[in-house]
Amino acid sequence: MPVWQVVLVVNLTFAVGLGLGYASWGRRVEALDRELEATRARVERLEREQQARATGARAGEQQWEARGVVRAIFPRANMLVITHEEIRGLLPARTTSFQAVSPEVRGSVRVGDPIRFSLRGTLLDDAAIVAIARW
Amino acid sequence: MRLLLLAALWVHLASSVLLMGAFFMLLLAGPSDRPIARRWEETVIAWSRLLVLVAIGSGIVWLLARTAVFEGRPQAALEPRAVWHAVLDTRPGLLWLARHGLLVVLATFLAIRVNVAETMNWIAARGEALVLSTLALALVSGSSHAAAVTERTVFALAGDVTHLLGTGVWMGGLIPLALLLRAASRDAGADVRPYAVLAARRFSRAALAAMILLMASGVMNAIVQVESMAGLAGTTHGRLLLAKLAVLVPILVLAVVNRTHILPALSGLLALSWPSAMRRLAAFVALEAALALVVLTLAAAMTLTTPARHAQPVWPLSFRLSLDALLDGPATKWRALLGGQLAVVGMVALIASLLVRRRRAPVLAGALALVAVGAGVGLPPLVVDAYPTTYRRPLVTYHAASIAPGMAVYREHCAMCHGTTGAGDGTSVEGRRRPLADLRSPPASRRHAGELFWLVTHGIAGRGMPGFESRLSEAERWDVINFIRALGAAQVSTGIGRQVEPERPWLVAPDFTVSVGPLAPGALRDYRGRRMVLVVLYTLPGSGARMTQLARSYDVLWITGVEVIAVPTHATLEAIRELGATSPPALFPVVTDGAPDIVETYRMFAPGPHAEILIDRQGYIRAIWKGETPETAVLLRQVEQLNDEKSVPPFPDDHVH
Repeated sequence: MPVWQVVLVVNLTFAVGLGLGYASWGRRVEALDRELEATRARVERLEREQQARATGARAGEQQWEARGVVRAIFPRANMLVITHEEIRGLLPARTTSFQAVSPEVRGSVRVGDPIRFSLRGTLLDDAAIVAIARW
Repeated sequence: MRLLLLAALWVHLASSVLLMGAFFMLLLAGPSDRPIARRWEETVIAWSRLLVLVAIGSGIVWLLARTAVFEGRPQAALEPRAVWHAVLDTRPGLLWLARHGLLVVLATFLAIRVNVAETMNWIAARGEALVLSTLALALVSGSSHAAAVTERTVFALAGDVTHLLGTGVWMGGLIPLALLLRAASRDAGADVRPYAVLAARRFSRAALAAMILLMASGVMNAIVQVESMAGLAGTTHGRLLLAKLAVLVPILVLAVVNRTHILPALSGLLALSWPSAMRRLAAFVALEAALALVVLTLAAAMTLTTPARHAQPVWPLSFRLSLDALLDGPATKWRALLGGQLAVVGMVALIASLLVRRRRAPVLAGALALVAVGAGVGLPPLVVDAYPTTYRRPLVTYHAASIAPGMAVYREHCAMCHGTTGAGDGTSVEGRRRPLADLRSPPASRRHAGELFWLVTHGIAGRGMPGFESRLSEAERWDVINFIRALGAAQVSTGIGRQVEPERPWLVAPDFTVSVGPLAPGALRDYRGRRMVLVVLYTLPGSGARMTQLARSYDVLWITGVEVIAVPTHATLEAIRELGATSPPALFPVVTDGAPDIVETYRMFAPGPHAEILIDRQGYIRAIWKGETPETAVLLRQVEQLNDEKSVPPFPDDHVH
């Protein structure tokens, strides 16, 4: 076999090997990375659901824990405005208004109090405060 | 261990470069059936077999030494687990693996003796070796400083790869060429002389192109890695680069002599004079190659030092050139302008002297004289004092948490002479013949922060300024410098009024920490590129009405791109509760921690119990309301003005200069 043919075969093997390697292994790694990320998010959601159920929530509901500072209270609407840190899986750090499930939950918190609070719901729109404690 | 690392890297780089150059040279010269040429080719191939083994061996030593340096223990070099980790779990390690895989394939390829009598086979065999050695050399840049550049990594890498491959073509080709010329210059080599001359001429053209690429990519690499003159002259990395350029000068002189004098001599019909010219050319080329190996040592050392952009420069001269000095008066400006013009005319004459053939010497002499006179006239006005720390980057950022403590240090240690406002009218200097400089004046504010650092640290002998090296910590000295910068900024901030001046951002807003309750704090700079910020320094109860007004218009301000940050002059955790009494409630961030620093810093720009400062999206102060409050409509007009701005200036540097 002439040398040029050997070289051609070697280079083709290189190219095909790299191509196939990426197609099967590289892409698989990418897919696995995506899958891992999705599974992590799912596990986190399931954990939040489990936590919610342990405290008597309905099926499909999740629970988020967060820290914040009370900025305003609207007693008639049973609503609190809270400047909070990032709530993983729900919101970045910002100021948001939340409904409290009942006036009792609000307890004696006042504007300016630093608090730890728990939110429960299926998504942002129906997430309501189920527990508040002074920090 | 670092010396071993340097030695291994140098051997690895040199062998990789020589490998690539050898095959490039073989392909450039082309196949030949002359016995001497064949013998030369066999010699080059035999050396290549050895070089590829050397490259692999030195690569292994380099890997072991690197593992030991990274682990911080010499014995780690012999621990399989540590080495395994260095190879498989780091990017340079994986690239090392790929590179050595290519080298092993190349070694195998070279070890197999094949029949290359046919041209096609010859080209395939040598071409394959060139491709493999080129790829192996190019991969070296994957573990270089260029790969660590965070912005425009592709450009930095492209520059580095070009530089490496240019080196391979030019430097690697020199030794095989010298060998060929040497063989051809001997009596027995008469029949191979035309082949050698042709090869030398082809190489000359290729090397010229490679040299141009090397220069261009070298400049690009220097811009990325060295960044400034201070980095070039004041850091180990920069000085190694200067040394590299210094060795490059004799190389270029040799190359020019070879190209303009010896090569043309070889094209003459007087074949009798060829052997001596060839011997001379071979000697010059070999000398060029030896110098190139020195350049490679310096390049390897540069790879192992911290890039100049990350190192603190130590300025080696007692002066520097500063264009700011021209602002001192028209006389200096005219002198510099005249000098500049003379130098430009001199440069034009210099270029002309290179192009013309007749009377080159007098034109060249005249041009050089003009450049020298121009420099002599124009440069002296630009010379200002400099110190080793002139270009040192401050330890702390231009931040309220540094400026406010700096103010306290200044009041305790500096104000008695320099005065509380920095005007140089302190109580202990009364009756002095020579008044102290105003720290807020342009000559003082033009000084680099590093210069101020030197003066504060070591004092000014003969002017009564003591050194504070033993009395103040380094951070405290930088705090004072930040405060002095803020003093200068406050002085000129009187030029900023209640109306935004369109498209003219120039006053940098000192950064500060935004802490709302015990939550994780943010910073003013977090808003850069996203929102404008209205900093409101307020005192209750006086500011009560205004805070209610702001709470009411917060929605509109937010929608137009403004965040309001309220800073109470007496900050406590109660601040939010106190503001909570407004109706509607104030929902913007209210700083509850660290407010005294912010208030002290920003009161330098806007004194009084209530002040509002509008900062644009890039982080520049654009409007100041002192002791009064803007109508919401007026405020919104200023915001609209900022929203309409077309030009986006760069974000200000976090450190003072």
